[in-house]
Amino acid sequence: MLSALQNPRQAAAQLLNFGLILSTAFMMWKGLSVISDSPSPIVVVLSGSMEPAFQRGDLLFLWNRNLMEETKVGEIVVYNVKGKDIPIVHRLVRKFGLGEEAKLLTKGDNNLADDTELYARGQDYIERKDIIGSVIAYIPFVGYVTILLSEHPWLKTVMLGLMGLVVVMQRE
Amino acid sequence: MHSTIVRGQNVFGFFTTVCFVVAALIAASDLLAPRTPKATVAVKDLQVVRGRPHYYSTKKEEYAIIRFSLSADLSSLFSWNTKQVFVYVSASWPNSTLGDAGKGEMVNEAVIWDTIITNPSADHLQNIGPAAMKKLVRSTKGKTIDPSRGKLELKNQKAKYQITSPDGKLAETDNMVLKLHYNVQPWVGVLTWTPQIEFGSWKKVKGGISKAFKLPAIKAKKVVEKKSA
Amino acid sequence: MADQLLDQVREAAEGQIDFKGQELAELLATILLAAVGVISFVVGFINQDIKLALYLGLGGTALTLALIVPPWPFLNRHPVRWLPVGGVEKKSQGIMMDGQVIA
Repeated sequence: MLSALQNPRQAAAQLLNFGLILSTAFMMWKGLSVISDSPSPIVVVLSGSMEPAFQRGDLLFLWNRNLMEETKVGEIVVYNVKGKDIPIVHRLVRKFGLGEEAKLLTKGDNNLADDTELYARGQDYIERKDIIGSVIAYIPFVGYVTILLSEHPWLKTVMLGLMGLVVVMQRE
Repeated sequence: MHSTIVRGQNVFGFFTTVCFVVAALIAASDLLAPRTPKATVAVKDLQVVRGRPHYYSTKKEEYAIIRFSLSADLSSLFSWNTKQVFVYVSASWPNSTLGDAGKGEMVNEAVIWDTIITNPSADHLQNIGPAAMKKLVRSTKGKTIDPSRGKLELKNQKAKYQITSPDGKLAETDNMVLKLHYNVQPWVGVLTWTPQIEFGSWKKVKGGISKAFKLPAIKAKKVVEKKSA
Repeated sequence: MADQLLDQVREAAEGQIDFKGQELAELLATILLAAVGVISFVVGFINQDIKLALYLGLGGTALTLALIVPPWPFLNRHPVRWLPVGGVEKKSQGIMMDGQVIA
Protein backbone atom coordinates (compact mmCIF):
# COMPACT_ATOMS: atom_id res chain seq x y z
CA MET A 1 0.00 0.00 0.00
CA LEU A 2 2.67 2.45 1.09
CA SER A 3 5.02 1.28 -1.63
CA ALA A 4 2.38 2.17 -4.18
CA LEU A 5 2.43 5.73 -2.89
CA GLN A 6 6.19 5.85 -3.04
CA ASN A 7 6.30 4.39 -6.54
CA PRO A 8 3.69 6.05 -8.77
CA ARG A 9 4.89 4.14 -11.85
CA GLN A 10 4.13 0.80 -10.20
CA ALA A 11 0.78 2.09 -8.97
CA ALA A 12 -0.11 3.24 -12.49
CA ALA A 13 0.91 -0.15 -13.92
CA GLN A 14 -1.26 -1.96 -11.39
CA LEU A 15 -4.18 0.32 -12.18
CA LEU A 16 -3.75 -0.29 -15.91
CA ASN A 17 -3.53 -4.04 -15.35
CA PHE A 18 -6.75 -3.98 -13.34
CA GLY A 19 -8.42 -1.90 -16.03
CA LEU A 20 -7.26 -4.37 -18.68
CA ILE A 21 -8.81 -7.32 -16.83
CA LEU A 22 -12.11 -5.47 -16.43
CA SER A 23 -12.28 -4.31 -20.04
CA THR A 24 -11.33 -7.77 -21.36
CA ALA A 25 -14.15 -9.33 -19.34
CA PHE A 26 -16.55 -6.67 -20.62
CA MET A 27 -15.46 -7.20 -24.23
CA MET A 28 -15.91 -10.97 -23.97
CA TRP A 29 -19.38 -10.50 -22.48
CA LYS A 30 -20.42 -8.08 -25.22
CA GLY A 31 -18.80 -10.26 -27.89
CA LEU A 32 -20.76 -13.30 -26.70
CA SER A 33 -23.84 -11.11 -26.64
CA VAL A 34 -23.36 -10.20 -30.31
CA ILE A 35 -22.62 -13.79 -31.35
CA SER A 36 -25.63 -15.24 -29.55
CA ASP A 37 -27.90 -12.24 -30.26
CA SER A 38 -28.92 -12.25 -26.61
CA PRO A 39 -28.73 -9.27 -24.21
CA SER A 40 -27.56 -11.66 -21.51
CA PRO A 41 -25.72 -14.64 -23.05
CA ILE A 42 -24.80 -16.20 -19.68
CA VAL A 43 -27.25 -16.45 -16.78
CA VAL A 44 -27.09 -17.89 -13.28
CA VAL A 45 -30.02 -20.04 -12.15
CA LEU A 46 -31.73 -18.36 -9.20
CA SER A 47 -34.62 -20.70 -8.42
CA GLY A 48 -35.23 -24.40 -8.06
CA SER A 49 -38.18 -24.49 -10.44
CA MET A 50 -36.23 -26.44 -13.07
CA GLU A 51 -34.84 -29.07 -10.69
CA PRO A 52 -33.43 -31.64 -11.07
CA ALA A 53 -32.06 -30.28 -14.37
CA PHE A 54 -30.79 -26.98 -12.95
CA GLN A 55 -29.90 -26.12 -9.37
CA ARG A 56 -29.44 -22.68 -7.94
CA GLY A 57 -26.04 -21.31 -8.94
CA ASP A 58 -25.67 -23.26 -12.16
CA LEU A 59 -24.41 -21.36 -15.19
CA LEU A 60 -26.41 -21.42 -18.43
CA PHE A 61 -25.27 -20.34 -21.88
CA LEU A 62 -27.99 -18.88 -24.08
CA TRP A 63 -28.53 -18.75 -27.82
CA ASN A 64 -31.11 -16.42 -29.30
CA ARG A 65 -30.82 -16.95 -33.05
CA ASN A 66 -33.19 -19.08 -35.13
CA LEU A 67 -30.73 -20.14 -37.82
CA MET A 68 -32.11 -23.54 -38.79
CA GLU A 69 -35.48 -23.73 -37.15
CA GLU A 70 -37.87 -21.93 -34.90
CA THR A 71 -37.84 -21.97 -31.15
CA LYS A 72 -39.91 -25.06 -30.43
CA VAL A 73 -41.66 -26.98 -27.71
CA GLY A 74 -39.30 -28.72 -25.30
CA GLU A 75 -36.62 -26.03 -25.42
CA ILE A 76 -35.65 -24.37 -22.17
CA VAL A 77 -35.98 -20.63 -22.64
CA VAL A 78 -35.15 -17.58 -20.56
CA TYR A 79 -37.86 -14.95 -20.82
CA ASN A 80 -38.78 -11.61 -19.36
CA VAL A 81 -42.22 -10.69 -18.08
CA LYS A 82 -43.43 -7.10 -18.28
CA GLY A 83 -43.07 -5.42 -14.90
CA LYS A 84 -40.72 -8.03 -13.46
CA ASP A 85 -36.96 -7.50 -13.26
CA ILE A 86 -35.77 -11.06 -12.97
CA PRO A 87 -35.77 -13.25 -16.08
CA ILE A 88 -37.26 -16.74 -15.70
CA VAL A 89 -35.75 -20.02 -16.97
CA HIS A 90 -38.52 -22.51 -17.88
CA ARG A 91 -39.38 -25.07 -20.50
CA LEU A 92 -41.64 -24.35 -23.48
CA VAL A 93 -44.60 -26.71 -23.33
CA ARG A 94 -47.04 -25.27 -25.84
CA LYS A 95 -46.72 -23.35 -29.04
CA PHE A 96 -49.55 -22.12 -31.22
CA GLY A 97 -48.73 -20.59 -34.59
CA LEU A 98 -45.51 -19.69 -36.31
CA GLY A 99 -42.90 -16.97 -36.18
CA GLU A 100 -43.11 -13.75 -34.20
CA GLU A 101 -46.81 -14.05 -33.41
CA ALA A 102 -46.66 -17.59 -32.13
CA LYS A 103 -48.26 -17.93 -28.71
CA LEU A 104 -45.92 -19.71 -26.30
CA LEU A 105 -46.57 -21.25 -22.91
CA THR A 106 -43.85 -22.23 -20.45
CA LYS A 107 -43.65 -24.42 -17.37
CA GLY A 108 -40.96 -25.23 -14.83
CA ASP A 109 -40.09 -28.94 -14.71
CA ASN A 110 -40.40 -28.87 -10.94
CA ASN A 111 -43.68 -26.92 -10.89
CA LEU A 112 -47.06 -28.59 -11.00
CA ALA A 113 -48.79 -25.87 -12.98
CA ASP A 114 -47.77 -23.93 -16.06
CA ASP A 115 -46.58 -20.34 -15.92
CA THR A 116 -49.85 -18.51 -16.69
CA GLU A 117 -49.84 -17.26 -13.09
CA LEU A 118 -46.34 -15.82 -13.49
CA TYR A 119 -47.17 -13.76 -16.55
CA ALA A 120 -48.43 -10.20 -16.41
CA ARG A 121 -52.09 -9.57 -15.58
CA GLY A 122 -54.35 -10.67 -18.42
CA GLN A 123 -51.44 -12.25 -20.28
CA ASP A 124 -52.02 -15.89 -21.17
CA TYR A 125 -49.01 -16.52 -23.43
CA ILE A 126 -45.59 -15.10 -24.10
CA GLU A 127 -44.21 -14.29 -27.54
CA ARG A 128 -40.89 -14.82 -29.23
CA LYS A 129 -39.78 -11.28 -28.42
CA ASP A 130 -40.14 -11.90 -24.68
CA ILE A 131 -37.49 -14.62 -24.92
CA ILE A 132 -33.87 -13.56 -24.45
CA GLY A 133 -32.41 -16.95 -25.33
CA SER A 134 -32.65 -20.74 -25.28
CA VAL A 135 -30.35 -22.75 -23.04
CA ILE A 136 -27.74 -24.57 -25.13
CA ALA A 137 -24.95 -25.36 -22.66
CA TYR A 138 -24.55 -25.84 -18.96
CA ILE A 139 -21.85 -25.64 -16.29
CA PRO A 140 -22.86 -26.63 -12.77
CA PHE A 141 -22.39 -24.62 -9.59
CA VAL A 142 -19.87 -22.02 -10.86
CA GLY A 143 -22.32 -19.12 -10.48
CA TYR A 144 -23.08 -19.87 -6.85
CA VAL A 145 -20.63 -17.16 -5.69
CA THR A 146 -22.90 -14.47 -7.11
CA ILE A 147 -25.88 -15.89 -5.22
CA LEU A 148 -23.91 -16.01 -1.97
CA LEU A 149 -22.72 -12.42 -2.38
CA SER A 150 -26.17 -11.06 -3.22
CA GLU A 151 -28.00 -12.97 -0.51
CA HIS A 152 -25.46 -12.53 2.28
CA PRO A 153 -24.11 -8.98 1.98
CA TRP A 154 -21.92 -9.46 5.07
CA LEU A 155 -19.78 -11.81 2.97
CA LYS A 156 -18.65 -8.78 0.97
CA THR A 157 -17.40 -7.19 4.21
CA VAL A 158 -15.60 -10.40 5.12
CA MET A 159 -13.95 -10.50 1.70
CA LEU A 160 -12.86 -6.86 1.97
CA GLY A 161 -11.48 -7.59 5.45
CA LEU A 162 -9.51 -10.58 4.18
CA MET A 163 -8.06 -8.52 1.34
CA GLY A 164 -7.05 -5.81 3.83
CA LEU A 165 -5.41 -8.44 6.01
CA VAL A 166 -3.40 -9.71 3.04
CA VAL A 167 -2.20 -6.16 2.33
CA VAL A 168 -1.21 -5.59 5.98
CA MET A 169 0.55 -8.94 6.16
CA GLN A 170 2.69 -8.28 3.11
CA ARG A 171 6.10 -6.80 3.73
CA GLU A 172 7.52 -4.29 1.36
CA MET B 1 6.01 -18.68 -5.60
CA HIS B 2 8.03 -17.02 -2.83
CA SER B 3 5.26 -16.61 -0.24
CA THR B 4 2.28 -18.64 1.00
CA ILE B 5 -0.28 -16.30 -0.55
CA VAL B 6 1.34 -16.32 -3.97
CA ARG B 7 1.68 -20.11 -3.91
CA GLY B 8 -1.97 -20.46 -2.94
CA GLN B 9 -3.03 -18.11 -5.72
CA ASN B 10 -0.93 -19.88 -8.34
CA VAL B 11 -2.05 -23.39 -7.41
CA PHE B 12 -5.69 -22.30 -7.33
CA GLY B 13 -5.30 -20.52 -10.65
CA PHE B 14 -3.91 -23.61 -12.34
CA PHE B 15 -6.61 -25.72 -10.64
CA THR B 16 -9.31 -23.67 -12.39
CA THR B 17 -7.55 -24.25 -15.73
CA VAL B 18 -7.39 -28.01 -15.11
CA CYS B 19 -11.06 -28.02 -14.08
CA PHE B 20 -12.01 -26.26 -17.29
CA VAL B 21 -10.03 -28.67 -19.47
CA VAL B 22 -11.37 -31.78 -17.72
CA ALA B 23 -14.93 -30.41 -17.96
CA ALA B 24 -14.43 -29.84 -21.70
CA LEU B 25 -13.12 -33.41 -22.07
CA ILE B 26 -16.10 -34.81 -20.17
CA ALA B 27 -18.48 -32.81 -22.36
CA ALA B 28 -16.68 -34.03 -25.49
CA SER B 29 -16.81 -37.67 -24.30
CA ASP B 30 -20.57 -37.55 -24.94
CA LEU B 31 -19.83 -37.75 -28.64
CA LEU B 32 -18.18 -41.14 -28.20
CA ALA B 33 -21.32 -42.75 -26.80
CA PRO B 34 -23.62 -43.86 -29.64
CA ARG B 35 -27.26 -42.90 -29.31
CA THR B 36 -29.74 -45.25 -30.92
CA PRO B 37 -33.15 -44.59 -29.39
CA LYS B 38 -36.30 -46.18 -30.74
CA ALA B 39 -39.94 -45.85 -29.83
CA THR B 40 -43.50 -46.54 -30.87
CA VAL B 41 -46.37 -44.25 -29.97
CA ALA B 42 -50.02 -45.08 -30.54
CA VAL B 43 -53.23 -43.26 -29.73
CA LYS B 44 -55.66 -45.25 -27.61
CA ASP B 45 -58.56 -42.99 -26.77
CA LEU B 46 -59.64 -39.50 -27.72
CA GLN B 47 -62.13 -37.23 -26.13
CA VAL B 48 -63.04 -33.56 -26.47
CA VAL B 49 -64.88 -31.89 -23.61
CA ARG B 50 -65.89 -28.35 -22.76
CA GLY B 51 -64.80 -26.72 -19.55
CA ARG B 52 -63.50 -23.61 -17.86
CA PRO B 53 -59.79 -22.88 -17.99
CA HIS B 54 -59.89 -22.03 -14.28
CA TYR B 55 -62.47 -21.80 -11.55
CA TYR B 56 -63.32 -18.09 -11.89
CA SER B 57 -63.40 -18.02 -15.67
CA THR B 58 -66.71 -17.33 -17.36
CA LYS B 59 -65.86 -18.52 -20.86
CA LYS B 60 -65.76 -22.17 -21.80
CA GLU B 61 -63.04 -23.86 -23.82
CA GLU B 62 -62.66 -27.16 -25.56
CA TYR B 63 -60.15 -29.59 -24.19
CA ALA B 64 -58.75 -32.67 -25.84
CA ILE B 65 -58.05 -35.56 -23.50
CA ILE B 66 -55.82 -38.21 -24.98
CA ARG B 67 -54.87 -41.69 -23.93
CA PHE B 68 -51.86 -43.23 -25.60
CA SER B 69 -49.42 -46.07 -25.28
CA LEU B 70 -45.71 -45.69 -25.54
CA SER B 71 -42.95 -48.21 -25.83
CA ALA B 72 -39.53 -46.64 -25.89
CA ASP B 73 -35.93 -47.69 -25.53
CA LEU B 74 -33.86 -44.66 -24.62
CA SER B 75 -31.20 -46.61 -22.73
CA SER B 76 -28.41 -45.48 -25.07
CA LEU B 77 -28.87 -41.89 -23.86
CA PHE B 78 -27.44 -42.67 -20.44
CA SER B 79 -23.69 -42.13 -20.13
CA TRP B 80 -21.56 -40.92 -17.21
CA ASN B 81 -22.19 -37.30 -18.17
CA THR B 82 -25.97 -37.72 -18.28
CA LYS B 83 -27.69 -35.99 -15.39
CA GLN B 84 -31.22 -36.59 -16.51
CA VAL B 85 -33.26 -37.31 -19.58
CA PHE B 86 -36.45 -35.32 -19.96
CA VAL B 87 -38.87 -37.41 -22.00
CA TYR B 88 -42.00 -35.82 -23.40
CA VAL B 89 -44.81 -36.69 -25.75
CA SER B 90 -46.30 -33.85 -27.74
CA ALA B 91 -49.33 -33.53 -29.93
CA SER B 92 -48.91 -31.42 -33.03
CA TRP B 93 -51.44 -30.37 -35.59
CA PRO B 94 -51.67 -27.98 -38.54
CA ASN B 95 -53.46 -24.69 -38.20
CA SER B 96 -56.83 -24.57 -39.91
CA THR B 97 -57.06 -20.76 -39.93
CA LEU B 98 -53.78 -20.21 -41.76
CA GLY B 99 -55.23 -21.50 -45.02
CA ASP B 100 -52.85 -22.69 -47.71
CA ALA B 101 -49.83 -21.03 -46.15
CA GLY B 102 -49.94 -23.26 -43.12
CA LYS B 103 -51.12 -26.42 -44.87
CA GLY B 104 -49.19 -29.47 -43.92
CA GLU B 105 -47.01 -27.65 -41.43
CA MET B 106 -47.43 -28.67 -37.84
CA VAL B 107 -47.69 -25.16 -36.53
CA ASN B 108 -49.28 -26.05 -33.19
CA GLU B 109 -47.61 -28.23 -30.65
CA ALA B 110 -48.44 -29.04 -27.04
CA VAL B 111 -46.79 -31.34 -24.54
CA ILE B 112 -49.34 -33.86 -23.24
CA TRP B 113 -47.11 -36.01 -21.07
CA ASP B 114 -43.59 -35.81 -19.68
CA THR B 115 -41.31 -37.57 -17.27
CA ILE B 116 -37.86 -37.02 -15.82
CA ILE B 117 -35.50 -39.98 -15.74
CA THR B 118 -32.44 -39.25 -13.60
CA ASN B 119 -29.16 -41.08 -13.79
CA PRO B 120 -28.22 -42.58 -10.38
CA SER B 121 -25.66 -39.76 -10.01
CA ALA B 122 -28.54 -37.25 -9.87
CA ASP B 123 -31.07 -39.27 -7.86
CA HIS B 124 -30.59 -37.13 -4.76
CA LEU B 125 -31.85 -34.10 -6.69
CA GLN B 126 -35.25 -35.60 -7.53
CA ASN B 127 -38.22 -33.87 -6.00
CA ILE B 128 -39.93 -36.96 -4.56
CA GLY B 129 -40.93 -38.15 -1.11
CA PRO B 130 -38.46 -39.93 1.20
CA ALA B 131 -40.03 -43.36 0.66
CA ALA B 132 -39.96 -43.06 -3.13
CA MET B 133 -36.40 -41.74 -2.91
CA LYS B 134 -35.30 -44.76 -0.87
CA LYS B 135 -36.86 -47.08 -3.40
CA LEU B 136 -35.26 -45.22 -6.29
CA VAL B 137 -31.80 -45.30 -4.73
CA ARG B 138 -32.15 -48.95 -3.78
CA SER B 139 -33.24 -49.89 -7.30
CA THR B 140 -29.78 -49.14 -8.64
CA LYS B 141 -27.60 -49.86 -5.65
CA GLY B 142 -23.93 -49.74 -6.56
CA LYS B 143 -24.53 -48.70 -10.14
CA THR B 144 -23.14 -45.42 -11.40
CA ILE B 145 -25.26 -45.32 -14.52
CA ASP B 146 -28.45 -47.23 -15.14
CA PRO B 147 -29.46 -47.41 -18.80
CA SER B 148 -32.34 -49.78 -17.97
CA ARG B 149 -34.26 -46.78 -16.68
CA GLY B 150 -34.46 -45.61 -20.27
CA LYS B 151 -36.85 -48.41 -21.17
CA LEU B 152 -40.39 -47.11 -20.99
CA GLU B 153 -43.53 -49.19 -21.33
CA LEU B 154 -46.78 -47.27 -21.00
CA LYS B 155 -50.13 -48.84 -21.74
CA ASN B 156 -53.24 -46.75 -22.16
CA GLN B 157 -51.51 -43.87 -20.38
CA LYS B 158 -53.64 -40.84 -19.57
CA ALA B 159 -52.16 -37.53 -20.68
CA LYS B 160 -50.80 -35.37 -17.87
CA TYR B 161 -51.79 -32.16 -19.60
CA GLN B 162 -54.98 -31.51 -21.54
CA ILE B 163 -54.61 -29.86 -24.89
CA THR B 164 -56.17 -26.46 -25.33
CA SER B 165 -56.17 -23.97 -28.14
CA PRO B 166 -55.97 -20.17 -27.92
CA ASP B 167 -59.23 -19.80 -29.84
CA GLY B 168 -60.94 -22.38 -27.65
CA LYS B 169 -61.79 -24.68 -30.57
CA LEU B 170 -60.37 -28.17 -30.91
CA ALA B 171 -63.16 -30.56 -31.80
CA GLU B 172 -62.73 -32.38 -35.10
CA THR B 173 -59.18 -31.13 -35.59
CA ASP B 174 -57.64 -33.28 -38.31
CA ASN B 175 -54.13 -34.56 -38.98
CA MET B 176 -52.97 -34.53 -35.38
CA VAL B 177 -49.95 -36.68 -34.50
CA LEU B 178 -48.22 -37.65 -31.29
CA LYS B 179 -44.43 -37.49 -31.16
CA LEU B 180 -41.91 -38.66 -28.65
CA HIS B 181 -39.07 -36.28 -27.83
CA TYR B 182 -36.23 -36.27 -25.38
CA ASN B 183 -33.84 -33.74 -23.91
CA VAL B 184 -30.58 -35.00 -22.47
CA GLN B 185 -29.35 -32.83 -19.63
CA PRO B 186 -25.60 -33.33 -19.09
CA TRP B 187 -23.61 -32.75 -15.90
CA VAL B 188 -21.49 -30.38 -17.93
CA GLY B 189 -21.61 -29.39 -21.57
CA VAL B 190 -24.14 -29.04 -24.34
CA LEU B 191 -27.83 -29.88 -23.94
CA THR B 192 -29.19 -32.09 -26.68
CA TRP B 193 -32.67 -32.67 -28.00
CA THR B 194 -34.21 -35.20 -30.36
CA PRO B 195 -31.97 -34.75 -33.41
CA GLN B 196 -33.41 -33.66 -36.75
CA ILE B 197 -30.37 -35.05 -38.56
CA GLU B 198 -27.94 -37.89 -37.85
CA PHE B 199 -24.79 -36.63 -36.21
CA GLY B 200 -21.82 -39.00 -35.99
CA SER B 201 -22.87 -41.96 -33.84
CA TRP B 202 -26.02 -40.12 -32.73
CA LYS B 203 -28.93 -41.55 -34.67
CA LYS B 204 -32.43 -40.20 -35.10
CA VAL B 205 -35.26 -41.75 -33.12
CA LYS B 206 -36.45 -44.88 -34.85
CA GLY B 207 -40.20 -44.46 -34.99
CA GLY B 208 -41.54 -42.26 -32.24
CA ILE B 209 -44.38 -40.75 -34.30
CA SER B 210 -47.95 -41.96 -34.15
CA LYS B 211 -50.31 -42.30 -37.07
CA ALA B 212 -52.24 -39.15 -37.92
CA PHE B 213 -55.64 -38.98 -36.26
CA LYS B 214 -58.66 -36.74 -36.07
CA LEU B 215 -60.14 -35.47 -32.84
CA PRO B 216 -63.78 -36.45 -32.34
CA ALA B 217 -66.69 -34.08 -31.95
CA ILE B 218 -67.42 -32.92 -28.44
CA LYS B 219 -68.12 -35.69 -25.97
CA ALA B 220 -67.72 -38.49 -28.48
CA LYS B 221 -65.74 -41.26 -26.88
CA LYS B 222 -64.03 -43.41 -29.45
CA VAL B 223 -61.45 -42.68 -32.08
CA VAL B 224 -63.49 -41.57 -35.05
CA GLU B 225 -61.12 -42.49 -37.79
CA LYS B 226 -57.54 -43.43 -38.25
CA LYS B 227 -55.46 -42.39 -41.20
CA SER B 228 -52.16 -43.74 -42.16
CA ALA B 229 -49.37 -41.22 -41.78
CA MET C 1 7.32 -3.28 20.23
CA ALA C 2 4.11 -3.49 18.21
CA ASP C 3 6.14 -3.20 15.01
CA GLN C 4 8.36 -6.08 16.06
CA LEU C 5 5.34 -8.22 16.88
CA LEU C 6 3.73 -7.39 13.53
CA ASP C 7 6.97 -8.27 11.77
CA GLN C 8 7.06 -11.63 13.50
CA VAL C 9 3.46 -12.36 12.52
CA ARG C 10 4.25 -11.27 8.96
CA GLU C 11 7.28 -13.50 8.86
CA ALA C 12 5.22 -16.51 9.92
CA ALA C 13 2.33 -15.70 7.59
CA GLU C 14 4.52 -14.99 4.61
CA GLY C 15 6.12 -18.43 4.58
CA GLN C 16 9.10 -17.65 2.39
CA ILE C 17 10.95 -20.41 0.58
CA ASP C 18 14.27 -20.21 -1.25
CA PHE C 19 14.80 -19.88 -5.00
CA LYS C 20 15.41 -23.58 -5.62
CA GLY C 21 12.31 -24.31 -3.55
CA GLN C 22 10.28 -21.91 -5.69
CA GLU C 23 11.35 -23.68 -8.85
CA LEU C 24 10.51 -27.06 -7.31
CA ALA C 25 7.13 -25.83 -6.04
CA GLU C 26 6.19 -24.46 -9.46
CA LEU C 27 7.16 -27.70 -11.20
CA LEU C 28 5.47 -29.94 -8.61
CA ALA C 29 2.24 -27.94 -8.68
CA THR C 30 2.01 -28.09 -12.47
CA ILE C 31 2.79 -31.80 -12.72
CA LEU C 32 0.58 -32.84 -9.80
CA LEU C 33 -2.47 -30.86 -10.89
CA ALA C 34 -2.17 -32.00 -14.49
CA ALA C 35 -1.82 -35.62 -13.32
CA VAL C 36 -4.85 -35.24 -11.04
CA GLY C 37 -6.86 -33.94 -13.99
CA VAL C 38 -5.83 -36.79 -16.27
CA ILE C 39 -6.36 -39.46 -13.61
CA SER C 40 -9.78 -38.17 -12.59
CA PHE C 41 -10.95 -38.07 -16.20
CA VAL C 42 -9.59 -41.50 -17.14
CA VAL C 43 -10.76 -43.26 -13.97
CA GLY C 44 -14.15 -41.54 -14.17
CA PHE C 45 -14.57 -42.46 -17.82
CA ILE C 46 -13.58 -46.10 -17.34
CA ASN C 47 -15.89 -46.52 -14.36
CA GLN C 48 -18.54 -44.30 -16.00
CA ASP C 49 -18.75 -42.52 -12.66
CA ILE C 50 -18.77 -38.74 -12.75
CA LYS C 51 -18.91 -38.37 -8.98
CA LEU C 52 -15.75 -40.44 -8.65
CA ALA C 53 -14.07 -38.09 -11.13
CA LEU C 54 -15.22 -35.09 -9.12
CA TYR C 55 -14.00 -36.48 -5.80
CA LEU C 56 -10.67 -37.58 -7.28
CA GLY C 57 -10.15 -34.12 -8.74
CA LEU C 58 -11.05 -32.29 -5.54
CA GLY C 59 -9.07 -34.67 -3.32
CA GLY C 60 -5.99 -34.50 -5.52
CA THR C 61 -6.16 -30.72 -5.59
CA ALA C 62 -6.47 -30.57 -1.79
CA LEU C 63 -3.36 -32.78 -1.49
CA THR C 64 -1.46 -30.59 -3.94
CA LEU C 65 -2.43 -27.47 -1.99
CA ALA C 66 -1.28 -29.10 1.24
CA LEU C 67 2.03 -30.06 -0.35
CA ILE C 68 2.83 -26.78 -2.09
CA VAL C 69 1.36 -23.95 -0.07
CA PRO C 70 2.94 -24.28 3.41
CA PRO C 71 6.71 -23.51 3.55
CA TRP C 72 7.75 -27.15 4.11
CA PRO C 73 11.42 -27.75 4.96
CA PHE C 74 12.00 -29.55 1.65
CA LEU C 75 11.31 -26.25 -0.11
CA ASN C 76 13.90 -24.47 2.02
CA ARG C 77 16.99 -26.62 1.59
CA HIS C 78 19.04 -24.11 -0.39
CA PRO C 79 19.07 -20.91 1.64
CA VAL C 80 20.64 -17.93 -0.10
CA ARG C 81 24.20 -17.41 1.22
CA TRP C 82 24.77 -13.69 1.27
CA LEU C 83 28.31 -12.34 0.97
CA PRO C 84 29.70 -11.09 4.27
CA VAL C 85 29.08 -7.42 4.97
CA GLY C 86 31.96 -5.29 3.76
CA GLY C 87 33.81 -8.36 2.53
CA VAL C 88 34.04 -7.82 -1.21
CA GLU C 89 33.00 -4.25 -1.45
CA LYS C 90 36.54 -2.91 -1.47
CA LYS C 91 37.48 -4.95 -4.51
CA SER C 92 34.50 -3.82 -6.54
CA GLN C 93 34.96 -1.36 -9.35
CA GLY C 94 32.27 0.84 -7.91
CA ILE C 95 29.28 2.28 -9.68
CA MET C 96 29.55 5.91 -10.54
CA MET C 97 26.49 8.06 -10.22
CA ASP C 98 26.47 11.82 -10.25
CA GLY C 99 30.24 11.71 -9.89
CA GLN C 100 30.12 9.68 -6.71
CA VAL C 101 30.98 6.06 -6.07
CA ILE C 102 27.81 4.53 -4.64
CA ALA C 103 28.70 0.85 -4.53
